[in-house]
Amino acid sequence: MIKKILIVDDSPIARKMLKSCLPKDQGYEFHEAVDGKEGCEKYTRIRPDITFMDLTMPVMTGYEAIEEIVKNDINALIIVVTADVQMKAIKRVLDLGAYMVLKKPLKREEIQSALLKAQDTLQKAE
Amino acid sequence: MDTEARSTQDFSDEEVEILKEIMNIAFGQSASDLAEVIDTHVVLAVPFIKIMQVPELPVYIKEHVKKFKQISIVEQKFWGKFKGDALLIFSSGSGKALINMLQSDDRRGMDTGPVDILERETLMEVGNILIGACVGKLAELLHDIVTYTPPLVLVEKEYEEAITSGHYDPEKTAIVLKTDFLFERGNVSGFLFLVTSNESIKWLRDALKIFIEQYE
Repeated sequence: MIKKILIVDDSPIARKMLKSCLPKDQGYEFHEAVDGKEGCEKYTRIRPDITFMDLTMPVMTGYEAIEEIVKNDINALIIVVTADVQMKAIKRVLDLGAYMVLKKPLKREEIQSALLKAQDTLQKAE
Repeated sequence: MDTEARSTQDFSDEEVEILKEIMNIAFGQSASDLAEVIDTHVVLAVPFIKIMQVPELPVYIKEHVKKFKQISIVEQKFWGKFKGDALLIFSSGSGKALINMLQSDDRRGMDTGPVDILERETLMEVGNILIGACVGKLAELLHDIVTYTPPLVLVEKEYEEAITSGHYDPEKTAIVLKTDFLFERGNVSGFLFLVTSNESIKWLRDALKIFIEQYE
């Protein structure tokens, strides 16, 4: 069951856009971080069920944050939400352990289908 | 200061953030388009937006490019409801590095004509892809259609010589959208500046509002 969601993005608008695409009636608990470093710290403290991660961020990039999070939690479900849709970027994050990659600007249907897939993965893991 | 210029400087923090996010998406698209042509990963940086009076612009740009010994510039004007100038500034040696990256292995070392012409054409082609995809995506996200002038190319000039004060109308206000980029292979780096004047401001503000309303 997805309960806690962590959104890591330096752009307040991107965080707002993402949250608006998520279902409002599921009682999700949202947490936000403004760069990869804060994302890692909050991940350790909160242990979210799903993390949405941008790649291009100051202080610590999404690539570095994914590496750090996966190093400590091999089962982390990290959905990369990025404007960087180069094949090499996508391959790199999947190799680092990201669960899937979604392209900005987000579409509600894509987010909701990603959530269903993640929900399924979580249930199988339980 | 006229009304339009004043309103430009009154861009709200939220409007600036929306513009940054749209620029981020647009340059991501153009990097992806270019990566399909050149086998490299374009490393992107967080976009930066600054609103300034046009006479400040050359000083601002020079401040960012002075670390390069020489620069090459690809410039294209674009116009629709959103209109302005795109300036793609490459570090020294980028043109030659791009020639090597674009030439297929079996053609490398073959005589393909004078290097200076090839360098100009390569910069023009790469510039056209980056600017076209970025401005095109930006316009698409804001429900606009833009057309472009053919690119102008300056190859390996001293930055003092390449960026002159007489280039822009001093009466205007500029919104500068700056993105740094670095090609992982080939030692190519630079900046993309989009300079749009206050003629586009009212439309831009309305378009940003419509864009974000989808996510309210």
